[in-house]
Amino acid sequence: MQAPSKSPLRISWQALFSVLMFGFMYLPILVLGFYSFNQSPNSAQWGGFTLSWYVKFFNDSRILSALSDSLTVAFCAVGISAIIGTLMAVGLARYRFPGKQLYQGASYLPLIIPDIAIAVSTLVFLAVIAVPLSLWTIVAAHTVFCLSYVAFVVSTRLVNLNPHLEEAAQDLGATPYQSLVRVLLPELMPAIVSGCLLAFVLSMDDFLIASFTAGGGATTLPMEIFSRIRTSVKPDINALSVVLMVASGAVALIAETIRYRSEKKRLQ
Amino acid sequence: MALSSCGWTLAKVQTDQVRQGASDELHVYTWSNYVDQELIDAFRSQTGIKVISDVFDSNETMLATFQAGKARTYSIIYPSDYKVSQMVKLGYLSELDHSRLDGLQNILPRFQKSVHDSGNRFSVPVSWGTTGLIYNSEKLTEPPTDWNYLWTHKDKLTRRLTLMDDVREVMGAVLRSLGYSYNSTDPQQIKQAYEKLQELKPAITTFTTDAWRDQLLAGDLSIAMGYSADAVNVINQNPKLKYVIPTSGTSLWSDTMVIPKTAPNPDAAYAWLSFMLQPEVAARVTERLFFATPNQAAFNQLPDTLKNNVTLFPPQNLLDKVETVAPLDKSILELYEKYWTKLTSS
Amino acid sequence: MSTKVPSESRPIAPTPQWLQALLLLAPAGVWLALLLVIPTLLIFELSLVPNIKPGDLVNPSGLGNYWRIFQSDVLNVIGRSLLFATGTTLLCLLMGFPVAYWIALLSPKRWRNLLLLAFVLPLWTSSLLRSYAWISILRPTGVLNTLLTSLGLPTLDLLNRSPAVFIGMTYSLLPYMVLILYASLEKLDRRFLEAAADLGATPPQAFWKVTVPQTLPGIAAGSLLVFITGLGDFINPELLGGTSSMTAARLIYNQFLGATQNWGFGSALSMVLILAVSLAIALLIKYGDKNASSL
Repeated sequence: MQAPSKSPLRISWQALFSVLMFGFMYLPILVLGFYSFNQSPNSAQWGGFTLSWYVKFFNDSRILSALSDSLTVAFCAVGISAIIGTLMAVGLARYRFPGKQLYQGASYLPLIIPDIAIAVSTLVFLAVIAVPLSLWTIVAAHTVFCLSYVAFVVSTRLVNLNPHLEEAAQDLGATPYQSLVRVLLPELMPAIVSGCLLAFVLSMDDFLIASFTAGGGATTLPMEIFSRIRTSVKPDINALSVVLMVASGAVALIAETIRYRSEKKRLQ
Repeated sequence: MALSSCGWTLAKVQTDQVRQGASDELHVYTWSNYVDQELIDAFRSQTGIKVISDVFDSNETMLATFQAGKARTYSIIYPSDYKVSQMVKLGYLSELDHSRLDGLQNILPRFQKSVHDSGNRFSVPVSWGTTGLIYNSEKLTEPPTDWNYLWTHKDKLTRRLTLMDDVREVMGAVLRSLGYSYNSTDPQQIKQAYEKLQELKPAITTFTTDAWRDQLLAGDLSIAMGYSADAVNVINQNPKLKYVIPTSGTSLWSDTMVIPKTAPNPDAAYAWLSFMLQPEVAARVTERLFFATPNQAAFNQLPDTLKNNVTLFPPQNLLDKVETVAPLDKSILELYEKYWTKLTSS
Repeated sequence: MSTKVPSESRPIAPTPQWLQALLLLAPAGVWLALLLVIPTLLIFELSLVPNIKPGDLVNPSGLGNYWRIFQSDVLNVIGRSLLFATGTTLLCLLMGFPVAYWIALLSPKRWRNLLLLAFVLPLWTSSLLRSYAWISILRPTGVLNTLLTSLGLPTLDLLNRSPAVFIGMTYSLLPYMVLILYASLEKLDRRFLEAAADLGATPPQAFWKVTVPQTLPGIAAGSLLVFITGLGDFINPELLGGTSSMTAARLIYNQFLGATQNWGFGSALSMVLILAVSLAIALLIKYGDKNASSL
């Protein structure tokens, strides 16, 4: 692999391979999109263009309620984790105390332990304390790994921060609370946002933990899709995937634009 | 957190603490294809109650999720008849107040006096049928007549065959093909059934109770093991598909509706039971969803094409070789499950 | 920077350090203790009870569940999980490294973030939907086989067998590998590569002697992440695997929400999974320290 050359005509094999890999990544998305507009949705042949599956999707109350349950869980879990996860990261970065290794270890556990183990242990715990399962038990379970991810991302940024910023603020008369909120928080905001985005995606995507902790009629989107795949798939699922893809693409683009602009502003 | 030897009970289903649910919502836990949008809409227009139905694909998974914490969610569950006696023994089901149910007298006598729940104290039968083989007659020039066809024609069927994801049905079917009872309690016989299944395993695509329908229609499969109700459903969509009751015998199943003691909305549950017992409703459901109704008054209302449908309502001579799945002792059940795990793990 | 004068003139008592620490660490600590640490201890206790179903009395009585793990069928399952995880890790490395290399070092600078984002974007669609897409592609009458037949080629029987699981798992985990490798490759100092070229190294030599050692931490981190995630993968083996791809996660799932109800055995398996993963991480930390000190 040579050092990059200036000749515009030389296309490295890495570039070709990468194009192939991009194709690989987007193949399932394209297939779903193809089926979502295909009149005969289960056959690989083109049967004619139609928007009926999208209409069906918007009328599918089960999918829509599963989507809303998923979004509720994700927003609540991420909301709580954003706060307590950031606080935890700050606390761990700043203070030394007996048992810190243990605490830190526990905070990394959700990143390491496989989902199935977390799901199983949460179920057993909820059964022992006889808490009835509901949408909120899913939120509680999701918050656990969400706060770990937020704390992880925030702590990597904390390491690179100037440690004397807060000291300077406090020397100038700010209370610890003020220095936290007005000085540290803005510096950490990009990390908090990316931690939250990561946690959001993981929460929306989680199947196992939700399966084990859902109750009272709450069903998340992955649970509903799994149930359909195992019984009988209605074609409006293809429309759902395209909608999700477009929505997440839009969010990602907006997030990237904001980040790009803020970086440009910082460098000016 | 000491490892106490003063034992605590694991995940006991608290039948005395019931959480009151929304009075206009009814959560139903049922088999796939038993509750469709039209049924939900009809119930809503009659009673104003919204029905949300979740699906399971075997009695064992239903009981497992019920015990794993979903007990307080559902007011109506659809266990098969043999599971009802087990659930009654576990103390999960509330005894039905017949004065609140209208139309129980229409149920065929053999379902009223079922050995599992005589007198319908805990359950209301809602459907019955057989288990058999559904195959694509275009792809299989020699039609199957029995379970053993799967072994004799293994090469032709390889990777085009599915069996159900249900330990009792599959083990039972193989036991029948060996000449034993569907509910054998002899460990030697069960072991033989397991070994025979291991022989067939490389040819099986997957164990599935419901997903074979789409696959058979799409042409991914040539033959599948399935319930008669699902068979009629797919045959309607593709007349080249045919259903056969194996000659060495199969199971005659009957599904029922029960109200668990932990039901959040028992009033809505009774409303549902009465609704499903109405002959017009039961007849329309059979016409749309194709499971055989045990309701005589409903049967009389069916069009002749359905009354004479051999798959739906097999004549007596075909029913000679059927057995109902029976509840088994805990230790024998563990033996079945042990072989099932071995089979699916290898 | 203008100082804001506090409105009250009397001095505010400083918040003691320990209270500050407590306020910061307590909420998350309580959450983790309640919903992570205690549950793990609970399933450890449960794993010591053989043959327990819901409704049974919990009486920890021995290692029966753990001995069961050494039976051939369970070892088979664990072996298969390891095989899937290892194979997927290797595939992700082989397929992900060139992509990460290209985006980090060879692509035009202003497109870099966008390209990375574009590669990772499919992660945002639900993984279940993507696995469902693979079902549609790999089915006997699916997209792939329809394409092959139209080209006159023989069909491939991939679905409901191990190849489909590998494809599904690699697809799910490749973006993570690329992300981590990219972070590592971005920090690569190109001058090393230039120096190597000046000293007469061929491109492969430069790759193996300069690039790889420099990005070893990233390779290790990426491989570990993919391996651990792959070890606990439930969806891909379940949806794409068929009859001969029972993995550890599926086996555990069946003990709780499936036909075989054995919460004790399921707990024991979960503990083994946790231990295996912790071992892998401990090894990495140990190896990582050695590696860092030797550089």
